[in-house]
Amino acid sequence: MPGPSTLTNLVEFFWRDGFSRIHELQQKHIHEYGRIFKSRFGFQFVVSIADRDMVAQVLRAEKDTPQRASMESWQEYRDLRGRSTGLISAEGKKWLTMRSILRQRILKPRDVAVYSGEINEVVADLIKRIQTLRSQEVDGETVTNVNDLYFKYSMEAVATILYECRLGCLNNDVPQQTLDYIAALELMFSMFKTTMYAGAIPKWLRQFIPKPWEEFCRSWDGLFRFSQIHVDNQLREIESQMEKGKEVKGGLLTSLLISKELSLEELYANMTEMLLAGVDTTSFTLSWATYLLAKNPQIQQTVYNQIVENLGKDVVPTAEDIPRVPLVRAVLKETLRLFPVLPGNGRVTQEDMVLGGYLIPKGTQLALCHYSTSYDKEYFSAAEDFQPSRWLRHGYLDRVENFGSIPFGYGIRSCIGRRVAELEIHLVLIQLLQKFEIRTSPKTQSVLPKTHGLLCPAGAINVRYTDRREGQ
Amino acid sequence: MNMARSVSILRRTFMSRLHGAMCPKSNAATQVLTRSYMRSFTTSAKCQDAKSNIGSSEENLTVNFINRNGETLKATAKEGESLLEVVIRHHLNIDGFGACEGTLACSTCHLIFDQKAYDKLSSVTDEEMDMLDLAFGLSDTSRLGCQICMTKAIDGITVRVPTEVSDVRRDQVEKQNKQ
Ligand code: HEM
Ligand code: FES
Repeated sequence: MPGPSTLTNLVEFFWRDGFSRIHELQQKHIHEYGRIFKSRFGFQFVVSIADRDMVAQVLRAEKDTPQRASMESWQEYRDLRGRSTGLISAEGKKWLTMRSILRQRILKPRDVAVYSGEINEVVADLIKRIQTLRSQEVDGETVTNVNDLYFKYSMEAVATILYECRLGCLNNDVPQQTLDYIAALELMFSMFKTTMYAGAIPKWLRQFIPKPWEEFCRSWDGLFRFSQIHVDNQLREIESQMEKGKEVKGGLLTSLLISKELSLEELYANMTEMLLAGVDTTSFTLSWATYLLAKNPQIQQTVYNQIVENLGKDVVPTAEDIPRVPLVRAVLKETLRLFPVLPGNGRVTQEDMVLGGYLIPKGTQLALCHYSTSYDKEYFSAAEDFQPSRWLRHGYLDRVENFGSIPFGYGIRSCIGRRVAELEIHLVLIQLLQKFEIRTSPKTQSVLPKTHGLLCPAGAINVRYTDRREGQ
Repeated sequence: MNMARSVSILRRTFMSRLHGAMCPKSNAATQVLTRSYMRSFTTSAKCQDAKSNIGSSEENLTVNFINRNGETLKATAKEGESLLEVVIRHHLNIDGFGACEGTLACSTCHLIFDQKAYDKLSSVTDEEMDMLDLAFGLSDTSRLGCQICMTKAIDGITVRVPTEVSDVRRDQVEKQNKQ
């Protein structure tokens, strides 16, 4: 099997800062070596695949407990602190048990639809925040670095679902606890190169370079601390309700605390990992969607027209309304095709398999190159262009999805927050477009993606939020 | 502070507190509370149309599944029950069927209907349609079994489990070497 040499790879990654261009390297290697190639990353041998049929074959062959990659360092931290694993870090039977419990609560569209009201409250706060921020600019319309804004929106929205409480991220003064959490999260990602690979550094080396591992533990401590505070708060709340003989009603966390299917430690771990997985992903996607809509005013107008015609100018939408605005769903799909938050994913083969004519032994680390397949001209015509309409169906039998773009993954280990993320994004996009025309401003620069763990905007996205006028 | 220790203390208090609270003898609130949760979440593989609650609990309907090997599996069904529930309840041996337990994440519950039955099925949601596109061996009368509820109108239907077509590449192993 062809592939770059170990040395080329080392130079590429460490010397030329290949980490932030992993998504581009994917494309380069495919160009040079074909849609399946091998590479070596330190001790790790990886087979990359960038062919949608092979991706489909791998995911369809999955059995009970698919494995993404070795989570040794995450596991080690958890053992060290007496913590449990959560969905991201757990493996095998333990993973399946937790997944079965959680998916019956937050993965079915119907179970998520009930959160429309809560999410809309956060959307209202976001709109107020936009109005405050733009009033501070000279033109009264520009908001700089929209990702900061959407980060707060995403965090607030996912917390209303996970913790059943408001964090106050969109207030003028963000509470200290929340600031501490954001700092821990930033530490986690700013140290990405070193911390995420802290586990890749052999243990014996830690005594000479202890910092990465220490930072890794410190950021996890911060993330766990935050979820624990909120889970414990909710637990106390439930107890006090019960003591008063009141009927306890609530959402995800309440139901989990009451059913006791997960232990308290498992709850902390899952809340921690879901919050970690649910904030940047959603906010980057919203930032890109905003950028793409600003850059493509005609498309934005078509989406707006559909919202006005099918829903109305200022009707507050709920999950039930989404099917009436297919273009809004299409904008999300097209945004994630162009900027897949997870530009590549991993799977460890659970048995021997033949892929593209090669025998791949059990236990091989595969890299699924989603970024490359998303831009493959064989799978998407005019692949570089933002064309949400490619996702519209013109009849029941129109088939639009394909394994070239599966931004949430596919199958039993796919994103458990998918429906939550979709609802958060659909509801906010509709209301942003109802209120504002999103436009470029002299401050709008060209922004490219970079890989920083996730695929994120490499620069600040600055746009104008112009009030919609009557009759527009 | 010793993290492990404080965690274990917390765990113990949590267990004893909640156990006390959840003990059937404790008070009526507990009962109300458990019931209200039963309602707020649709349980495993339950049909999307909440008809299952109102439908009769009698198993007076039938479905035939043609399995991958051509064998026909006959099963009784209740009104309002999803086809995935039927498969699970009767322990029908359909390999890999319903992997995500009806949470619209996998499309392994893909079934093929005949045109007449297909026309009588409840309408398809966007989410089902998206997952269906990724199903193996898709046909014009395909649906996801976890989204289809049994009704009198489709009593006695025969549905086909798509056959696994062997992957062409499997037969053309050019190179066996891995590295
Ligand atoms: C636009 C937003 C999002 C995108 C694009 C996204 C994408 C993904 C992807 C590609 C995976 C890996 C799936 C696989 O390996 O097959 C994943 C896993 C996961 N995501 Fe998301 N995600 C998003 C939002 C969220 C949200 C809001 C949450 C939390 C509620 C969340 C929680 C998780 C968890 C816990 C996993 C691990 C699941 C497991 O291993 O069982 N994600 N996500
Ligand atoms: S069981 Fe997974 S989609 Fe029906």
